[in-house]
Amino acid sequence: MKRIGLTIDGSKVEAFEGTNVLRAAEQAGIAIPHFCYHPGLEVEGSCRMCLVEIEGLPKLELSCSTVVREGMVVRTATERVRQARRDVLEFLLAEHPLDCPICDKAGECRLQDYYDRYGPYAARMLEARERREKKAPIGRSLILDRERCVLCTRCVRFLRQVTKTGELGVFERGVRSEVGIFDGAPVDNAYSGNLVDICPVGAITAGDFRFKTRAWFLERKPSVCPHCGRGCAITVESIKGYPMANGTRRVFRITARENTAVNGFWICDLGRDGRHDIDDGRVTGLMKKGLPAPGLSWTKALAEVAAAVRAVPGPGRAAEIAVVLNSRMTCEELALAKGLFVASLGLSKVFFADRKPGDADGLLLTADRVPNGRGALAAGFAPRLPAPGELTSVRLLLMFGSQLTEDFAGETIVPALAAIPSRFLFAAHSGPLDRLADTVFPVAVPAEKSGAYINFEGIRQAFCRAVEPPPGVVPEGDIIAFLAHSLGLNPGDPDAC
Amino acid sequence: MVENEVRLLPDDDGSWRLEAYLRQGGYQAARKALTAMAPEAVVAEVCGAVIRGRGGAGFPAGRKWGFIPKDATRPKYLCVNADEGEPGTFKDRLILLRSPHALLEGMLIAAFGVGIRTAFIYLRGEYAGLAARLEEAIAEARAAGYLGPRVLGTEFGLDVVVHPGAGAYICGEETALLESVEGRRGQPRVKPPFPATVGLFRSPTVINNVETLAAVPGIIAHGASWFLGRGLPTDGGTRLFGVSGAVRRPGVYELAVGTPLRTIIEVHAGGPPGGRSIKAVVPGGLSAPILLPEELDVAMDVDSLAKAGSMLGSAGIVVIPDGTPMLDVLQVTARFYAHESCGKCTPCRIGTSWIFKTVDRIRSAGGGPEDLDLILRLADGIRGRTLCPFGEGAALPIRALVTKFRDELEQAVAR
Repeated sequence: MKRIGLTIDGSKVEAFEGTNVLRAAEQAGIAIPHFCYHPGLEVEGSCRMCLVEIEGLPKLELSCSTVVREGMVVRTATERVRQARRDVLEFLLAEHPLDCPICDKAGECRLQDYYDRYGPYAARMLEARERREKKAPIGRSLILDRERCVLCTRCVRFLRQVTKTGELGVFERGVRSEVGIFDGAPVDNAYSGNLVDICPVGAITAGDFRFKTRAWFLERKPSVCPHCGRGCAITVESIKGYPMANGTRRVFRITARENTAVNGFWICDLGRDGRHDIDDGRVTGLMKKGLPAPGLSWTKALAEVAAAVRAVPGPGRAAEIAVVLNSRMTCEELALAKGLFVASLGLSKVFFADRKPGDADGLLLTADRVPNGRGALAAGFAPRLPAPGELTSVRLLLMFGSQLTEDFAGETIVPALAAIPSRFLFAAHSGPLDRLADTVFPVAVPAEKSGAYINFEGIRQAFCRAVEPPPGVVPEGDIIAFLAHSLGLNPGDPDAC
Repeated sequence: MVENEVRLLPDDDGSWRLEAYLRQGGYQAARKALTAMAPEAVVAEVCGAVIRGRGGAGFPAGRKWGFIPKDATRPKYLCVNADEGEPGTFKDRLILLRSPHALLEGMLIAAFGVGIRTAFIYLRGEYAGLAARLEEAIAEARAAGYLGPRVLGTEFGLDVVVHPGAGAYICGEETALLESVEGRRGQPRVKPPFPATVGLFRSPTVINNVETLAAVPGIIAHGASWFLGRGLPTDGGTRLFGVSGAVRRPGVYELAVGTPLRTIIEVHAGGPPGGRSIKAVVPGGLSAPILLPEELDVAMDVDSLAKAGSMLGSAGIVVIPDGTPMLDVLQVTARFYAHESCGKCTPCRIGTSWIFKTVDRIRSAGGGPEDLDLILRLADGIRGRTLCPFGEGAALPIRALVTKFRDELEQAVAR
């Protein structure tokens, strides 16, 4: 693509042909304030906050809709521009309730940020503000506060242009204009959470997050969503160490992170609800026969696993030890599993049990509901479930993940598992398999791990631990490495995959 | 001016029928264009006539047609702006009422010149009563072969669709009009792209005012120089001046572009009745900044009015007599723009409402110079900061009222 040279605030910068001035400035490190512009939506040009001076043009121009031209000279910080921004801000704040102390958006609100940049000024609005609905339920547990709304219409455009469901519209005219749903047709699509992400103010808030914490307590870490084959870029927002009344919630929300190669700007609600996968229903400590085993140490419990492996004599291992892996494990973990179970121990019964595929939704969600199906192939596995008969001669079963019961109806799997003399489960979440395992080991969920996934299009994405696992919870990779060490075996290079 | 020449507005009331229009030489210009002229020649003729848009912006119509890309692969459209909503303006209504075929013939010539096969007439919601007559005129023209697939036996065809609006002033803004025709909320679009390249249904579109198009047959019939000769070299032809307010003979006057405002008011409209005097004049619809009695010698053409700090706009003249409280004028003006702001752009949405609330407050509870200063500052915050000309249209007349009648307003609100 052609590069265009222009000058912004005295600096010579380059941008690809077709880029707008706002993005070109952003790429050069110059932030132009804006409300309605969003790179994932069509230009609206209505908030008027991004006005800049362009040499040769008499009026201030929209940086969001003006495309860069060779030799263009742009000024974003002149007094004229600053005055225009102050004026727009003053207009918006004149009709704003200023209820920041009870607003979820406080701390990450554009109105606050820009006032910090362009204020302070003495309030001149002496007239009565418009009174509007402050907690209109608009569907999917989203709450709309019409007094806080700045009418940027990002939400309206998102639903028209991205999900193409169009549940929201602008009603009435002039200062009475309001965003709203049509009669009896609330927001109902699997991408609704993005409305909260893109709202530049506190107008649309999520039921799951409302009044739960303050934005400035949140620690924001990037990760990759593990709920389908796409591997969307996400931000995991958690609180560590802040004393909460009920201290169980660590992850307060998952938000979309921009990655134009994978998910653009959005994530689906399934991925967003993944915060429950991190915090809810977790196995929190070692268990024996489905009951907590407070006296048991990891070292002792893993020594029992190693002993159980040793107890199966060499020639019989291939058929008598079975391992069930899953495609949520990282490439590194799968490489270790391949090295230990297949290469070193020579096992032939290495199976995969995963979440059942669903329907792809044509937007982001893939049919696969696991993040690393391609990674399992790359590690040299041919993932498949055990056939019913394949577990009959097994004397030791190591299960990573508790998907087996989901894949088999309870009544067929229970007798098959009960017939296996020795059973160990490494799982992040409690489930029906807990009772059937001699020992349950609590393991980390993807957000608590570092590693890489290969998405359904073959894009390899490395990620780092976004939240600390609870005490006594470890990633499967560490367990496999420890087992290998206990058995005096070398599982190979985890990066071999 | 010679009386027996073709005029935009015939005098008799039965004139709207095709039969009457034909008797006056109607559709001869279209016949000439379609059978004896190349499309480019038609556009060139209209360019040469320097007919400036009669809707308010004053852009030369011929040049506008010239912006339509010649190699467009998408269909091209013509939209007639019949959303006559500017307060003080009622000229297009008269054309639709008395001479709808002049509009249709103008549309036919424009469509032929630009290569358009489908045209829409966006009719002001409040003009619903005119829709039936317009539809009947279209039916007459179709039946007689002046509209339809093969106009006048040529290969050229044109279909005309009447699209009624729903009563929003903003839909007279050309891009809001396009949104409304497409069935969406009537709000202006970001420009560029301009309608000439990306207009109705994302296709190249010509948007002209009713009066502009109704003048086109005369240009083709008599030539560009004839038309130019009737007005000014920079602003050709005659225009329909609507005069209302404190005059003896309010009405619509077809006069040469450049006629002095004072002549229109005093000579043609008879001046203020019964010994009253003029306090102020709105020269071109409410959005045109108000003029004082000493400013009335201005020539009524686009450039002269701009030089005088106002605008010719829709040429709707409102004469305000002595004794009118200007605080009332300010209030109705502010209320109109607050009521009609579409709400898309922040400065206009909140600024017009803020100004109205302030005027309302000082009118009922009193105020001081600081309130008038605030109104000026708010107007400056709107002006030049919106997508469409509504921002200027609201800010400039309010500014002019506050500036030119500052002393009176200060006294009126003082406690």
